[in-house]
Amino acid sequence: MAETPDVPPARPGPGRDLDSFYHLAGCPLAGKVCNGTACFVARHLNPSRWADAQRQTPRVYCLGQCFDAPAECGSPARPHIESRSPKTVILQRLITGGARTLAAYQAQGGYRALEKALRHSSADLIHTIETSELRGRGGAGFPVGRKWRSAATQPPGEKFIVVNADEGDAGAFIDRFLLEDDPHAVIEGMLLAAHATRATKGWVYLRSEYLAAKPILEHALTEARRAGFLGQGALGAGHSFDIHVQVGNGSYVCGEETALLRSLEGKRPEVMARPPYAAEHGLWGRPTVMNNVETLAAVPWIVEHGADKYRALGCSTSRGTKVVSLNSLFRRPGLYEVEFGVSIRQIVEDFGGGLRDEAKFKGVMIGGPLAGIIPPPLLETPFGFEELRSIGASVGHGGVIAFDSHTHIVALLHHVFSFGAYESCGKCTPCRLGSRRIERVLGEVLETGATNYWEEKDCESIIAALKWASLCGLGTGLAEFAESALAHYGKELESCLR
Amino acid sequence: MPAVTVNGTCHHFPDGTTILAACRHLGIAVPTLCHDDRLKPSGACRLCLVEIKGWNRHATACNTALIAGMEIETHSPAVEDVRRTLLELLVHDYPGELVERSAEKEFHRWLKHYRIAVPEDTRGISVSSPEDPDAAAAPDQFRDATHPYLHADFSKCITCFRCVRICDELQGQFVWRVWNRGDATRIRPGEAPTLLASECVSCGACVDTCPTGALEDQSVLRHGAPTDWTRTTCPYCGVGCEMNVGVREGRVVQVKPVLEAPVSKGHLCVKGRYAFDFVHAADRVTEPMIRELDRWQEVSWPEAIEHVANKFRRTLKETGPDSIGVLGSARGTNEENYLAQKFARVVLGTNNVDCCARVCHAPTAAGMRLTLGTGAATNSFDDIEHADAFLICGCNPTENHPIVGARIKQAVLRGAKLIVIDPREIELTRHADVHLQLRPGTNVPLLQALAHVIVNEGLADQAAVRDRVSNFEAFGEFIAPWTPERAAGVTGVCPDSMRRAACLYASRKPAMCFHGLGMTEHVQGTEGVMCLVNLALLTGNFGQPGTGVNPLRGQNNVQGSAHMGCEPDNLTGYVPLDQGRDVFEAVWQAAVPRTPGLNLMQMIDAAHDHRLKALWAIGYDVALTNPHAATTKAALSKLDFIVVQDLFMNELAREFGHVFLPACSSFEKDGTFMNSERRVQRVRKAMEPIGASRPDWQIVCQIARAMGFESRFDFHSAQEIWNEVRAVWKAGAGITYARLERGGLQWPCPTEDHPGTTILHADSFPVGLRAPLSQIEFTASAETVSPDFPFLLSTGRTLYQFNAGTMTMRTPNARLRGTDTLDMAPADAERLKLRDRDRVRVRSRHGEVILPVQTDVRVKPGELFATFHTAQVSLNSLTSLYRDTVVSTPEYKVVAVSVERV
Repeated sequence: MAETPDVPPARPGPGRDLDSFYHLAGCPLAGKVCNGTACFVARHLNPSRWADAQRQTPRVYCLGQCFDAPAECGSPARPHIESRSPKTVILQRLITGGARTLAAYQAQGGYRALEKALRHSSADLIHTIETSELRGRGGAGFPVGRKWRSAATQPPGEKFIVVNADEGDAGAFIDRFLLEDDPHAVIEGMLLAAHATRATKGWVYLRSEYLAAKPILEHALTEARRAGFLGQGALGAGHSFDIHVQVGNGSYVCGEETALLRSLEGKRPEVMARPPYAAEHGLWGRPTVMNNVETLAAVPWIVEHGADKYRALGCSTSRGTKVVSLNSLFRRPGLYEVEFGVSIRQIVEDFGGGLRDEAKFKGVMIGGPLAGIIPPPLLETPFGFEELRSIGASVGHGGVIAFDSHTHIVALLHHVFSFGAYESCGKCTPCRLGSRRIERVLGEVLETGATNYWEEKDCESIIAALKWASLCGLGTGLAEFAESALAHYGKELESCLR
Repeated sequence: MPAVTVNGTCHHFPDGTTILAACRHLGIAVPTLCHDDRLKPSGACRLCLVEIKGWNRHATACNTALIAGMEIETHSPAVEDVRRTLLELLVHDYPGELVERSAEKEFHRWLKHYRIAVPEDTRGISVSSPEDPDAAAAPDQFRDATHPYLHADFSKCITCFRCVRICDELQGQFVWRVWNRGDATRIRPGEAPTLLASECVSCGACVDTCPTGALEDQSVLRHGAPTDWTRTTCPYCGVGCEMNVGVREGRVVQVKPVLEAPVSKGHLCVKGRYAFDFVHAADRVTEPMIRELDRWQEVSWPEAIEHVANKFRRTLKETGPDSIGVLGSARGTNEENYLAQKFARVVLGTNNVDCCARVCHAPTAAGMRLTLGTGAATNSFDDIEHADAFLICGCNPTENHPIVGARIKQAVLRGAKLIVIDPREIELTRHADVHLQLRPGTNVPLLQALAHVIVNEGLADQAAVRDRVSNFEAFGEFIAPWTPERAAGVTGVCPDSMRRAACLYASRKPAMCFHGLGMTEHVQGTEGVMCLVNLALLTGNFGQPGTGVNPLRGQNNVQGSAHMGCEPDNLTGYVPLDQGRDVFEAVWQAAVPRTPGLNLMQMIDAAHDHRLKALWAIGYDVALTNPHAATTKAALSKLDFIVVQDLFMNELAREFGHVFLPACSSFEKDGTFMNSERRVQRVRKAMEPIGASRPDWQIVCQIARAMGFESRFDFHSAQEIWNEVRAVWKAGAGITYARLERGGLQWPCPTEDHPGTTILHADSFPVGLRAPLSQIEFTASAETVSPDFPFLLSTGRTLYQFNAGTMTMRTPNARLRGTDTLDMAPADAERLKLRDRDRVRVRSRHGEVILPVQTDVRVKPGELFATFHTAQVSLNSLTSLYRDTVVSTPEYKVVAVSVERV
């Protein structure tokens, strides 16, 4: 753990009780196979590997190799990377082979945005980001400028920038490749955030499943420190800033803001009710800006090219571009930068080239398993935050998992609830007990074909409780997923559930 | 003040009110399981969900603050359905038979309210049986029946986390830990196999908050739940926690904290919460007894009273009033101590009256009165939450004043600074910014060095020294030579630590000082307190919230017993004998004797010299607790007549008593106690006195009446006595029983419309606008180490035992700590080849004792610590006759000793 501020420890040091929260604590990943949703829906492509995954303990939910699913840890496979947007904001350097070193990054214009921003005030920078209408890419889509302004207006003192590099939504592998191939873009984004808010320290909370990213990131930080981008007076006289990397231990919930902060603080990473919000009362009680990797990677481009250029991209309230990641069932899996407003059909059919198998396309899950499914009749829906919300789906991280007739909807439901029950932090009643109960019922349905079990066990009440009473998005996401499955795949479900 | 609509009607509430608080105020029962007003809301159980118009999701009432215009629906069909589902999920694997058996538990009440079907027999169904081998490797549900007070069976746990949170947020002990996650979440005491093996301090807060019975009091499991509850004040330390005493069939079976108590805020420690079985101890003396030819004979009350009255009459006739002494004590109420001193002065005609304050905080009362004008705590416990720094001197709050200790700990966990001055590493030193681990007996040079730093480094509060302090210049000159370097040699503390401590105390304002017997039980006790007062005066840390000099009084009513006049030099209300006699003489219709009285130590001297002939000790075992046991016992054996009024045949009675008058405990009587912060609180009778035992006040009245003082001791209730106290004590005149029904009051409270005084000296001192800085010279104790006596021993108390052990040793606390021990640094133990529990002979220049040794890393090499709780060890055989130069308080804290294996 990096040095902590002047706050006494809340308890006598973390022990094995804390470790027991994380399923990958002290567990090497080498040789592990992936249990993620993309691998599940592609299990017929490598049945023996999936069989290994089912036997595996602990489970590994998403290695960020969904383009090559079912995946195995350490595979050298790389995704196809392409921009399908009129302007390439995020993927430029990845398309040309990445910029892992400072020299490579600077050769492609890196850190120019920072230089430019430092010539102007923090207020100017916040104004630029607000004008760009950039929204967070971690799922919630919160306006980035507003978050920065909120932290910037807190009384002076220690403030922190935390990068949420815990891209745990199965199906997403965007942040993984940004961290591995363009680490300085994230660092520059953090420096800009620090300049805007006068933050003094930064953390990158990196999920342990992204093995390769840590040394690359550490190397980039060393280079940045050596070049004076980090450290004493990095952001002008009297404004120092440095960045530490903290690697997670295996927990999906740690991607949630409050849980992530508690994890960084060395506490049990339960989800906490908000308010207070992190921008006012975050890490160790200090004002904290938490941004996702892709969000920060967009910031240098916006600063360099201007907010208007960025704002000109996109549709309605979703401005700019978004990287989406397509799973292995597509003909052309990989990373695509798209402009907001393209239809889901374009993503599926034009960019991804449709499904590779003759089997019948059944639907896509966007933004991970904890959101509504998009069935074929809704493919015309434009790709945008509010647009997807209106059909019960979500942009999420931008992972796109298509599934086909190899996957029965009950099996998919069972897979998702099994994931939810496994990853629940256990704090709130509906998620702790409800997700496991539904998983069990579905398991019995799959095993016995029991017909009345669903109603008998009052599963719809449990789903309602998950939806209305869960403390965080894990429980509500499970409910949204289940509701969309019931709504769009009712016929298929009816045969075994009712 | 937001206006909100709840279930269709509009209401106004103060800013920050939660929806739950608003609903409770309106009498709307919103169900909760994880909520407890003592804890930060966590929103975990989700039962308190409400609908808010226009919100796209429901809100949990417990942690959602009202926003103007909110339209809240608390019991919509949808919300009620969700609640039912949540309860069904929780009860799925729950042992159903419990729901009927302990219907009063919160969880069971809600199950009943929502008519949730309860599983009939869940044996054989595991709570989660997770198929993951990972989760299966999780620790099983915790069960523990080995603790004398707390019973744990987490198969009844519904994972509301209240036990974990209350241990963290109220007690600050962090015993309960959460393991695993999801439905494999388990709560256990860290890695300890049992609570006894954990860091648990047995406060029982987790049991108190548990909504199911997963945690339960052993006493309830053994005797059944109480049928009657009485709110009263704790009989142990001077913090003054309020508690509800639960009685079933004439027996105290459970004690629970009073949630709204201003001092304890819904918390109690192991003594208050659990150590009540002494009331029903088999050896409780419940009949009056007279010793004839060395045999105790039970007699009737009239016989006993007549006997005592006759003996006193004869002594008065033969040797005069000043040959009799009366001792009140903290065990008695204010009313009883008032009567004890009135008896001495009016019936006997002597000022020979004292109480146990003599052996504890008399130096505080004297030192603070000499400097500030009032000899009591300047501030209140509620100031703890305002202080930004604490100076803890010679007290060990987490063990001896645990509720104050817990509050200080929470304040420090929230960021307040902490300086500890103590020869040992007490629990609070773990949280301290600076620990000044001084050699015992060197408080004065240490505190002088801190004052030196404050003056020398310009850290003094300019406004305070200009406007409120009288002799700053002269003090500056006086303190100049008291450098930290000079103090370092005497105290053994490094000068830098002293500088840091002084700087923290002076700069992190407001800073609050607490001190204990580590300050007072020295030959320079009064002077040490005056040095402490200097620091507060220099830094302006007085008269404001979060400041002051605050003695932690050791016993429930030691503040009150002295304050009521059980002091030879002072009448009720600390009125000096030669001032204000008129008031007393008018009310008492008797002259207040003019001859100066003897204090306890002087009484012992007088007994030795045959000047004192008779002694009446009310609730005070001087034989065990006075220093230099040999001298004490020799003196006591010379007395012609000793009346012991107590619950038990204590050492004084057993060895020297002539008459035993069976008193009853505070659970069996009415009255008031006065706590450390000058707060008068009610003591209420929870059960009838056991056997023929009686409240002390009735016994005093009966003897007075038997001696012809019918009209002046014609009291029929504690309240009648209190009203006479109010007539003689101006600063307490406003404190009526009727007002006390609504909660305790802090004096000065001169009129019935006066709110009481939480902070003294805000605008001026009783001594005037300015208070003087004291120029104290240091005279070291005569107790010094030598080759023959190479160790310095300090004596004191521990968490689980209380003073002479009279009460706690007769409870299961004896299982938690059953013997006095000699605590020794591991290095010394190794050098002497001693292992834990080896019995050692400890010799001082004054006597010797034998007790087991216990290695303890908290003790510095060359120093020792021992408790004085048992007659078997009788530790005061070792202590000296050295006394505080001003008020005669014995030097219990410094004795040079040698140690050898028996």
